[in-house]
Amino acid sequence: MTPDWRKYRADGLFDELVQANGRARPGAGRLLAALAKLSADEVQERKTAAELAIRAIGITFTVYDDGANIDREWPFDIVPRLILKQEWDRIARGLEQRVRALNAFIGDVYHHRRALRDGVVPQDYVLGSREYRPRCAGIDPPHGVWCHVCGSDLVRDKDGQVYVLEDNLRTPSGVSYMLENRAVMKRVLPELFEDYLIHPVDDYPARLAACLRSLAPDGNSQPRIAVLTPGIYNSAYFEHAFLAREMAAELVEGADLVVGEDDCVYMRTISGLERVDVIYRRIDDLFLDPKAFRPDSVLGVPGLVRAWQAGKVALANAPGCGVADDKVIYTYVPDMIRYYLGEEPLLPNVPSYRCAEKDQRDYVLDNLDQLVVKPANESGGYGLVVGPHATRKEREDVARQIRAAPRNYIAQPMLSLSVAPTLVANNAVEPRHLDLRPFILSGKDVHVTTGGLTRVALRKGSMVVNSSQGGGSKDTWVVELE
Amino acid sequence: MSTVLARVAERAYWLGRYLERGDATARLVAVNGNLLLDLPRRVPLGWRPLIDITGTAPLFEELYGPNAEATERSVCRFMTTDTRHPGSLVSSLTGVRENARNIRQAMPRITFEYINELHQFARSSLTAASSRLRRAEALEGISRRIQRLEGFLSQNMLHDAHWDLLRLGNYIERADMTTRIIDMRTADLFASHHALAPFEDIQWRSILRASFAMQSYNAAVREPVAAGRALDFLFKELRLPRSYLRCLEGARRSLRALPRHADPLKQCDRAIRLIRSTEVASLGEPNRSSELTAFIDRCQRQLAALHDTVAQTYFGYATRARETKNS
Repeated sequence: MTPDWRKYRADGLFDELVQANGRARPGAGRLLAALAKLSADEVQERKTAAELAIRAIGITFTVYDDGANIDREWPFDIVPRLILKQEWDRIARGLEQRVRALNAFIGDVYHHRRALRDGVVPQDYVLGSREYRPRCAGIDPPHGVWCHVCGSDLVRDKDGQVYVLEDNLRTPSGVSYMLENRAVMKRVLPELFEDYLIHPVDDYPARLAACLRSLAPDGNSQPRIAVLTPGIYNSAYFEHAFLAREMAAELVEGADLVVGEDDCVYMRTISGLERVDVIYRRIDDLFLDPKAFRPDSVLGVPGLVRAWQAGKVALANAPGCGVADDKVIYTYVPDMIRYYLGEEPLLPNVPSYRCAEKDQRDYVLDNLDQLVVKPANESGGYGLVVGPHATRKEREDVARQIRAAPRNYIAQPMLSLSVAPTLVANNAVEPRHLDLRPFILSGKDVHVTTGGLTRVALRKGSMVVNSSQGGGSKDTWVVELE
Repeated sequence: MSTVLARVAERAYWLGRYLERGDATARLVAVNGNLLLDLPRRVPLGWRPLIDITGTAPLFEELYGPNAEATERSVCRFMTTDTRHPGSLVSSLTGVRENARNIRQAMPRITFEYINELHQFARSSLTAASSRLRRAEALEGISRRIQRLEGFLSQNMLHDAHWDLLRLGNYIERADMTTRIIDMRTADLFASHHALAPFEDIQWRSILRASFAMQSYNAAVREPVAAGRALDFLFKELRLPRSYLRCLEGARRSLRALPRHADPLKQCDRAIRLIRSTEVASLGEPNRSSELTAFIDRCQRQLAALHDTVAQTYFGYATRARETKNS
């Protein structure tokens, strides 16, 4: 690219493509050389082509206070992020291990509570979690799996170490962008693909379908699968429709389903009622069934949880699995791995302070200007306070909130997320911070996506990658070093 | 996907209706503009008929003031860009997009490229204060894009029940539009203005044109345009894609491909019997104008009844009402 790559530096940060001495990382050489060959006009041309492709395909997402305009384009950066296959295999094994332990934990919480009795995870934290659902006690979902689709966020610190920042176990989204990014990339920079052995990602819908099929009641090998969406105004509706289409599943809303007196779930069709066996639900627990949870929910299906309890329908993810999504519970995942699997964790957590514990809380309150404070049960980056960037008032507010409800907060040191070259205004290339969200599927078997969704903070210096807060995304290449 | 959800069925059906309505509205406005160019200035025709045939006079007066004059400017705005009017061109295109969004997974992926492009074109070309020339270009461009979209769907979409429902919506809307376009004739006016008699065939020609049927008429009928022949052609010509009878036969075919079609099929056959047993050509005689109006009303009532049975049968209202009663 016209900008002089020899001048590109990400001082003091870990760059995914470029080493501190300005040379390409192993495997990235050909990519950087190919990009450097593009003239300014060509860069602009490819960028425009990507924008057009995205607009045309209708990659959209919603920002909630966006009013009537529910379509927005998802900013995409044409410089891919690259991960070597050997490193990825190590990460994937760590993720698989993690999700196995998480599923063991959730099953334990709703059955014998061994880990709670043995003091591995304090009972109060679990039973006091906003995501704990007493109704789910005693239920045996197929294969003992509760979380079928997990999206874990990985970050790399400046020393190159990869950490798990959080596990999204409820209704994680973003996988459609992972798939679309690859499709757009092939469309606008096909020549780059000639030089590399890039692992494909487009088997995801088939893997997800296989995972969901393995959950069908009564061993039905041809189950009817439905994706349950809150509807077109949901921020991830595009993804719901995308996955339903790619899996040849039905895309349903709550009002399309009805639970019969036989506890089976049916959908209203032009031929009358037809049975549904597996529901990939993208609606929060509390809105799933007005009879079981929030009575005012109009998105859900009355009796759905009863049908699930009776084993007549599989729900993915299972209700109640969000108990392990709680960020206080997250701090215990390494202990869970040792306790349930008898293994050492392959991927570390980000060191975390639990505000519910006095000595840790005191430390947090004394060091707010150095720490990132996170609410235990929010997602999408909402409620996050980044100490070093916060105003004094924001820090005072969060201190007050921590004192009032210490159980609801954890704090972590401010990591310097790794960066990668990113195309910015005027076709300049500058380092921007990023993270990575791989998806882990658990049914009869466990499958980890090859790579995942790389999210990038497009604002200079920002480490907030969420799409709702100015984030964009990149294609993620897991490559073989030949 | 062997079946269609009741909710999605309704969306597919309305997608078909809005596509057709958008296309017809664009042509109606364009043709009316053309017609006025062909007539002498003293003809008291103007833009009012567009309001009358679409049955929107009360809304027009509400939005543009009581006794609002139906000027070129006000009627064109009302019929094309006014989002407050649910039958305006822009509203129809929004209907296309909203309904398509809901049945996204049933359509080829790139359908949305066509729909987005249609939207962007309409947004940029239909500005309130555009010249006649620009307006004509915009309307033609929109009409052409809708037809391209329909053609694309026809050639690339799986012809499953989604398609049958979309076509059903197409046919019912088109049948309705054909009757409304025929209604555009202002025989009374012509009859009472002897000076205008020479222009009567212009009017029938523009009605044929609004139905995209002028060239077909010339090829099929091979006689000068006259009221009776034009009526017979537009109502009953089975080779004409937009004829009323052809639309009903199309709706019938779509229904037969759908499950549980007994009730709507019965209603469709009722409508077909009515048109087959009516001598429409003679309704073109100058002194039978009110009979023609009454007949058009009957056709429209048959179509409304057909729509109602389709909704009852396929859109889940019936079963939902039963459940509410039971719980």
